[in-house]
Amino acid sequence: MIRAASGAGRLVPRLRMWLCAVRSDPSPIAAALLAAALVWLVLAPIGSMLIDTVRVQVRDSATTGLRTGEWTLSFLQRTFTSRVSGVLFWTPLANTIVVAALVSLIALPLGAGLAWLTVRTDLPGRRILSSVMVVPYMLPSWTFAVAWLTLLKNRRLGGLPSFAESFGFAPPDWLAYGALPIVICEALHLFPFAFLLFGNALRSVDTQLEESARVLGASGGVIARRIILPLLRPALLSAFLLIFSRVLGSFGTPYILGSGVKFMMLPTALYGSFKIGSPGVAAVIATVTIALGISLLALDVFFVREFKRFVTMGGKGSLRRAAPLGGLRAPAMLTAGAACLITTLLPLASLLASTLMHRPGVFRLDNFTLDYWIAAAIPAMPGQRGLFLNADIAASAWNSLRIACAAAVICGLVGLFVGYLVVRLPSTRLGVFLRQVSFLPYLVPSIGFAAACLSFFAVARGPVPSLYGTMTLLVLVMAVKYLPFASRSGISAMMQMGGEPEEAARVCGAGWLRRLARIVVPIQKHALVAGIVLPFISGMKEQSLVIMLATPGTEVLTTQVLRFVDYGYSQLANAVVLAIVGIVFAFTFILEKLTGSNLASGVSGTG
Amino acid sequence: MASIELQGVTKRFGSAVMAVDGLDLTIRSGSFVCLLGPSGCGKTTTLRMIAGLDLPDEGEIRLDGRILYSTASGEYVPTEKRGMGLVFQSYALWPHMTVAGNVSFGLEMQGLDRERRRARVAEVLELLHIGELAARYPAQLSGGQQQRVALARMLAVSPDILLLDEPLSNLDAKLRLEMRAELKRLHKTIGNTIVYVTHDQLEAMTMSTEIAVMHQGRLQQFAPPMTIYREPANLTVAEFVGSPPMNIIRPSGRPGEGLFDQLAELFPAGAGAVRTIGVRPDDLAVVAATGAAASPAAGRRWIRPARVETILPTGSEWIVGLRVEGHGLFARAVEEPACVPGDEVALAAPLERFHLFDADGRRLSPSGAD
Repeated sequence: MIRAASGAGRLVPRLRMWLCAVRSDPSPIAAALLAAALVWLVLAPIGSMLIDTVRVQVRDSATTGLRTGEWTLSFLQRTFTSRVSGVLFWTPLANTIVVAALVSLIALPLGAGLAWLTVRTDLPGRRILSSVMVVPYMLPSWTFAVAWLTLLKNRRLGGLPSFAESFGFAPPDWLAYGALPIVICEALHLFPFAFLLFGNALRSVDTQLEESARVLGASGGVIARRIILPLLRPALLSAFLLIFSRVLGSFGTPYILGSGVKFMMLPTALYGSFKIGSPGVAAVIATVTIALGISLLALDVFFVREFKRFVTMGGKGSLRRAAPLGGLRAPAMLTAGAACLITTLLPLASLLASTLMHRPGVFRLDNFTLDYWIAAAIPAMPGQRGLFLNADIAASAWNSLRIACAAAVICGLVGLFVGYLVVRLPSTRLGVFLRQVSFLPYLVPSIGFAAACLSFFAVARGPVPSLYGTMTLLVLVMAVKYLPFASRSGISAMMQMGGEPEEAARVCGAGWLRRLARIVVPIQKHALVAGIVLPFISGMKEQSLVIMLATPGTEVLTTQVLRFVDYGYSQLANAVVLAIVGIVFAFTFILEKLTGSNLASGVSGTG
Repeated sequence: MASIELQGVTKRFGSAVMAVDGLDLTIRSGSFVCLLGPSGCGKTTTLRMIAGLDLPDEGEIRLDGRILYSTASGEYVPTEKRGMGLVFQSYALWPHMTVAGNVSFGLEMQGLDRERRRARVAEVLELLHIGELAARYPAQLSGGQQQRVALARMLAVSPDILLLDEPLSNLDAKLRLEMRAELKRLHKTIGNTIVYVTHDQLEAMTMSTEIAVMHQGRLQQFAPPMTIYREPANLTVAEFVGSPPMNIIRPSGRPGEGLFDQLAELFPAGAGAVRTIGVRPDDLAVVAATGAAASPAAGRRWIRPARVETILPTGSEWIVGLRVEGHGLFARAVEEPACVPGDEVALAAPLERFHLFDADGRRLSPSGAD
């Protein structure tokens, strides 16, 4: 805002004026401080991890025989060209690409078809359908994987039998574990993404565009091919890129369904290398993951979004006429209803049923039990109590709540403040930089970002002590990772408010802090609540981000689930999953009541 | 007492857009000054610079001789310390506060105690006839009520200077008229200095003591309304002020022919310099055709035969489109004209009502009519 007069010899008056202006409105200073903090929290960890790829860490020196701090290319060689590179890197990479492609292949048509049915046809119950359809996306991404094990695992992993086994069917390995179930579970989780993107794109296409073509004599097929598809192509490309990047960053599903048969994907390979104590290799894999993730989302952000702009230029007052389904109404409704049932009710119901049975799938009265919820001791699981009495679970739940809550509050406040500063400092280099740097964490896959933060914060740096194993690290990483969503909504909220309410307060004699406290924050109350609750919900179900950072002292619910899955305590694992789902739904409901908005679109950003 | 002086004030947006260019303006204490001009002429920017919300790139702004802003010395008194009032075009009422809360905010900033705040709020709301709205929230008010609250909020602190940025542009015609009368009444009652931004010349003409006409960031003329109307300083002002707009007559390109050359001959003193001639539709009278051809300038009157092309009744008046010497002109009649399109009539105007402009569009003295 301050553009002091040009010309030499006027430095003193310019400086004087700048000081006056900044004292009255310290936004530029605040923006500079915030930008610096974000650089330290986002760019520094990634830089530190890049260095780790060519420098020996303490934990590596024992296994490699190299001295700590020495520069080396051995990690790169080991990852990319050594005899073990196939197992370490190339196979997981290939698996990731194949799985992502297959997931897109299922999720895109499914989401697009359902979007068309609910947006453009007279399908009965399409309103309800469109809100139910988003539920799979609100569930933690790995819910389906846990449910899959409950329903279809076989003797290979041991432990309790699955439903299928109890019914007398032994699922073969290819059905129980590995690529196929991972693809299906990811697709079920991610198809609402395609559904939302297509639904919104379809809504923005004026039916008059189709009608104009029809008036000119085009048939339905020609209209679909020449008018609708070209207009939806950006949404298609966007959905594909976003699904790909989601698969790239998701840890839970491949871990739960792939580990048993050594089916590795990049996130699990990264975790594996980290666990067996080769941080150098882990850094290399994380770097590749981040590079891939950034390129995918950068493509989406800088190419597709630009392109998308003209889609919404369809015209004002777009009228939508529903296409009659005619005789297809009933089958279409059955299919859509079945899709809803399979994607939401089935996994949740099977999880719930399993927690109420000693042996899953055995429907005998004496097999039903509430032990896994309320028993003081569970015979089959030494040392464990039912969910409500379980000290470990209570500790994890307390950690989860504390971490998600702290991260969400920080995220919401900082996000709103970023929005304020970006809108107040438009078209200045500082404002633009702040907007970009606060958006950066969005581009970095969760697990890669966690690896980078681990690399940077594991050692003491200046006044900041080593944060490894502390709650602070989890809170910081989570807050930063969710900041892009909070700051994006902060920016749009501030844009909507405009500068005048604050300027009016200024005219009335209110100083900067007073304006913030009395005018800006109260007006943005709802945006702030949404900016806190949304990250909180995401934080409660976050796994990819915390799996490498959680230690025995900082176990959270989502890592506790994996622990129970590893032990074979499936009923407890499932009970914890249901608890997380319950919390997520409860807060989603509260948020919808508070803001009076439909969360379907709001949730689409966060994971 | 509160006079405002702007000296050499310049404001650029980016490197290309010159919002305000070397503005010199002195606003007398107690005057009601309208900044008038088309959108993008820099009038709102000027107002915001007076308020301190935008900072000039060059120049100095003073309040009663005290420097508020100066690029030469680096002095800058921020908005919140200037003690002015500013009513925004959008009203910018705070949606989370009641009407009373909005109005008392400024008093609170001045450190008034609760009792005195309450009394003053009641007084101001009464002044604007909205006492019964005190407990409502802005979202529950109509546009006109919001307008009054926005005004009350700024009047509450009794500012010496009240700045208004197109405050009536979002109101319907009837309310606009009411509020115009109200503002004029308030100015009389309170006697503070008002700077009022508008693109509506009717608003400027009816309310202000002086009008500053701006165009492309430059001040075109600063004078009382009737002077602006009767003696526009240049072609830009002449064309902008007046509805229907002034008839503009330019040379036809063939020397010795056309309306311009005929008219120019009537003003021998300025003949060489005149490039444009203007005459307001109000000053043109449609008269009977008889005898018009004989005398181009009978006495101090110009009179020419004309053909009626169109008649546009507006309800209160008639705009008559005529063709004189191949040149289209509009005349304004307050009584129904006794002619129909196609009629041959005559058009007459007093010579002193013609406006002459030179090659740069500057006004030439009409005394050449002698």
